[in-house]
Order: sequence, then C-alpha cells, then structure tokens
Amino acid sequence: MSTLVAAPSSTSLGRTVKSEWIKLASIRSTWWTALAMVVLGAGFTTIISGVVAGDIASGKSGDSPGEYITQGLIFSQISAVVIGALVVTSEYGTGLIRSTLAATPIRSTVLAAKALVLSGFLFVVGLVTAFAGYFGGNAFFRHQGIGISLGDPHILRSLIGAGLYMAGLGVLAAAIGLLVRSTAAAISIGLALIFIIGQVVQLIPGTFGEWVTKLMPGNAGPAIVVPVDFGEHMLGPWTGFAVYVAEIAVLSMAALALFRKRDA
Amino acid sequence: MNSSLTGTICAKRLTKTFGNKTAVNGIDFTIEPGRVTGFLGPNGAGKSTTMRMILGLDAPTSGTVTVNGHRYADSPAPLREIGGLLEAHAVHPGRSARDHLRWMAASNGIPTTRVGEVLELVGLESVAGQRAGRFSLGMGQRLGIAAALIGDPPIVMLDEPVNGLDPEGVRWVRSLARQLADEGKTVFVSSHLMSEMSLMADHLIVIGRGEVLADSPIQDFMAEHASSYVRVKSPQSTDVEALLWGRGLDVVRVDDELRVQGLDAPAIGELVGSNGMLLHELTLVRSSLEDAFMELTADSVEYHARAGVAA
Repeated sequence: MSTLVAAPSSTSLGRTVKSEWIKLASIRSTWWTALAMVVLGAGFTTIISGVVAGDIASGKSGDSPGEYITQGLIFSQISAVVIGALVVTSEYGTGLIRSTLAATPIRSTVLAAKALVLSGFLFVVGLVTAFAGYFGGNAFFRHQGIGISLGDPHILRSLIGAGLYMAGLGVLAAAIGLLVRSTAAAISIGLALIFIIGQVVQLIPGTFGEWVTKLMPGNAGPAIVVPVDFGEHMLGPWTGFAVYVAEIAVLSMAALALFRKRDA
Repeated sequence: MNSSLTGTICAKRLTKTFGNKTAVNGIDFTIEPGRVTGFLGPNGAGKSTTMRMILGLDAPTSGTVTVNGHRYADSPAPLREIGGLLEAHAVHPGRSARDHLRWMAASNGIPTTRVGEVLELVGLESVAGQRAGRFSLGMGQRLGIAAALIGDPPIVMLDEPVNGLDPEGVRWVRSLARQLADEGKTVFVSSHLMSEMSLMADHLIVIGRGEVLADSPIQDFMAEHASSYVRVKSPQSTDVEALLWGRGLDVVRVDDELRVQGLDAPAIGELVGSNGMLLHELTLVRSSLEDAFMELTADSVEYHARAGVAA
C-alpha cells in the first residue's frame, strides 16, 4: 500500500490548508460576515469623513483627514472576531472537530492550517475594506480640497496595515475559541478584550497603567492602521504590531498546548 | 509496515479513565480483515470511547491501540487507512453534503472524483447540494457512511450505524457491511442490539463495563451461550422423568414440565413412545442470542431498570 508510506509533513500542511479553505468558503455565514466587515468598515469611514471634511477644510477643527481615513475599521473588528472564533467553535458545537482530527490527526497542523487560511482571508477582506473606505472617505476630503494621496506618508502602510491587523484579530479569536470551545464565550471574550478591557485598563494609575494600556492587543495592534502619529499614548506602528503579533503567538501556543492535551 | 497487519485494529491493555470513572479497562483484541466484527455492549459499556481512541481522538490513559500496525496519528493520510462513522454525526449543518466530502477528500489528497462516487454509493446524489442541517437522521447517517468510505480504506468502522434508519436503510447498512467484508475489508460495527449483530456480524466482541466479556466467532458464541433444551409434558411425567434419567440425560423439572438436554426432540419422542408412555408436548426451546447477551452482560449494565413497578 503506497498510501501508507510517510509523506513529508509540508504536503500534509498543504492539503490541510486546502481543506480548511474549502470549509471556510463553503459556509454562507463566512461570506455574510465578510460582507458586513466591508460594508460597516468602509461605510463608517465614508460617513465619518463626510461629516468632518467641512470642518477640517475650514480650519474649524484642528484634526487631519488621516485621523479619519481608517476610522470605520473599528466596526470591522467585530466581523474579524466572529469569523475567527467560528472557524474553531462551530466545529466544537457541531462535533465536526472529530471529523477534522480524524482527517488530520496532527493537531499543530490543524491549528497552523486554520491560522493560515484565516489570516489570508481576513487580510484580503481587511484590505478591501480599508481601500473601499479610503476611496469613499477621500471623495469628501477631495471635494473640500484636502484629499489624501496614496503616495502621502504612511497612507499605504495604514491601508495594508488594516489587512494585517484584521488577519491577526482572526487568529486571536480562533485561539480564544480553542481555549474556551464555545462560540458565545469566544466572541464575548474577543470583543471584550478589544473594546472594553483595552479601555478599562486606562484606569490603572501611573506609568504602569499607561504601559498596560499601550500593550493591550486592541491598542497596540491598531497603531499600524492609523496613518497619523498619536504621540506617546500609542506605540509606534511597527513596534505596536510586533507586540500584537507576539501576544497572538503566545495565546496561540497556549491554545495549542491545550488542544494537544484535550480529548476531542 | 508489516503487511500482515494491514486491515487489523489491535488493542493492547487499552485503558481510558475519566476522572475516577473507568470507561475502558485494559482491553485486548485484534480485529481481522475479511469479516464483519460486531462490537456489542450495553450503552455506556465503553464502545464509543474505544472507537474514539482508535481514531486518536481520545488519548488512552494507558495501553495502546494500532491501526494497520501503527498508531493512528502516525498515518500521513489516515482516511485512506480507516474510515470511521462516529455516533455524533460530526457534520456542520450549514455545509452541503458535497462540500463536506470535498474538504475531507482534500485533507487526505483524495481525488475529487471520489466525492461523486461515494455520494452515489450511499444514494445521496440528488441532495448533495443541500445543506446537511436539513437532512433527516437517516440521510445524516448515510452522509457519515459516505465520509467513512471517502478514502476507500481497508478498514471501515461504524459506531451504531443503524440508529435512526428506517427498515430499508437498516437492510442497506447490513448488505453494505457484508459487501465490504466480502471484498476483504475489515468491518468493525458497534451496536447495543444483539439482534442486529446476529444478522450482521461474523465475529463478536462483547464488552461490558469497559471489559471484554467475549471475543469469538458468532457461531461459537451462540453454541456457548445460547442454550437449548427440549420441553416435555406428559400425564405420566414421573415415569417419563425416571426413564430419561435412566438414559443418562439431563432432566430438570419446572412445574409440570420437564426440561431435557442431551438428546434431540424426535429421539426423545421415540424413546418415550416405545416405552408406552404418553406425550402431551415435545418442543425444542432455544434461548435467543438476546437472552445470551442479557445473561452475559447482566452484571455489567450501568443502569439497571428496577424490577417490578415503581412504588
């Protein structure tokens, strides 16, 4: 039986990536959630830009267009968390995880394949959202004569950064999903971590509190998404992104350790 | 790998405990190709836990289980080696039957053409594009069997495959199991119903409270555990009893009947008649396999129904 001869593990990862992609793409909710991500993200960026463009142009507001051009992505975070969590927790909810692990018994391969497919998909959807928001919002800024060019400093980095940030968020939610194995819990924890805990830690007094706030994934990660400098309240774009990636890596390793240990 | 181990599932001192509860207690067995092996036991006996350990889903607490001579997780393409239908259907309700089989095929490098083949084999071609969540229990079971066959594996393992099937579906599973075994494949089927096993299996492994109670060909199992006797009723039962005793037969009196073992009914009839005694009844009584199974597992059933009416 030639099939019993050990194949190189890279082949196995490639096959698992392909199967995980079929899984993700064959569920309708994936596409609805991705659509929600684009519409919410690009839509809010466009609306907010439309609202503030006049005041910025007249000098009534001291802000710059760059502060708003990726603003709507705040809402897109919800979709990224939902898609990321569901990739793992829907399998536990339906018992599908047993089929998955019967097909690919090496659990690190399963997690790696899920992370690759998720991050690739969310990178593209995040990128589409960011560019759509840029073109939508910039139409208003251009109309007021304060348009931003893609060639302006940090603009391209922030739009691509939006894709990278969303990719990371999906993996983060998937790792949480693997730890708690429940859709409701994973989405709640993921959203709380990004939207609530990142704000609440600001209440910790002193320099310690400032650092904790800056290092929270929902605060460190978005540094790469905004084209303007928020000074010392935020880490620099690439420093922040590095912290964010490291946090996701640590959480994923913890999730993998449990994934390997637990019965399916 | 050793080709003599192809098609075998081999458990050695296989044990699984959950907390302080032992689900599977040091069982040994070898399942061979070319026959249907029934895995019989009451609910909670450890059948599903054993099957999950075979597929590497649950890690044994101690002991080992190998498929085709190696650990399940060591296979580069396990769906080509063993196909399993587990009790929980393990299908996402939002995904179509075809897509479910497509991802499984892709994960093990199985050509996509195989998807159509197994859909046809289980009779789901016409609903292949429908979401699996809309399937009846029986259709879900068929999809599970299609998934088990996707890699055309030498071993097929089915956990309670006839659950939820209509009579036609039950017959279909039986003939499929037979056909696969006749092709030389290993077929391992669990059930809590002895009657089902007696129609399907060639070989029987009986499990109760996590321990193997019997492991033998089904004929041997019947011969050993299903006893038969001849019921004899006669107006001269005392004389008949003495006569049969005198011939060295095993006679037990229960009320007005004699239960005789050691001679078949016609011979008993001739013997009694030729001695000028009357017979009112002469019946061969066979205790069923169901009885044998109940007797064997009586001490190992997790939850006994209380005898008598609840007060």
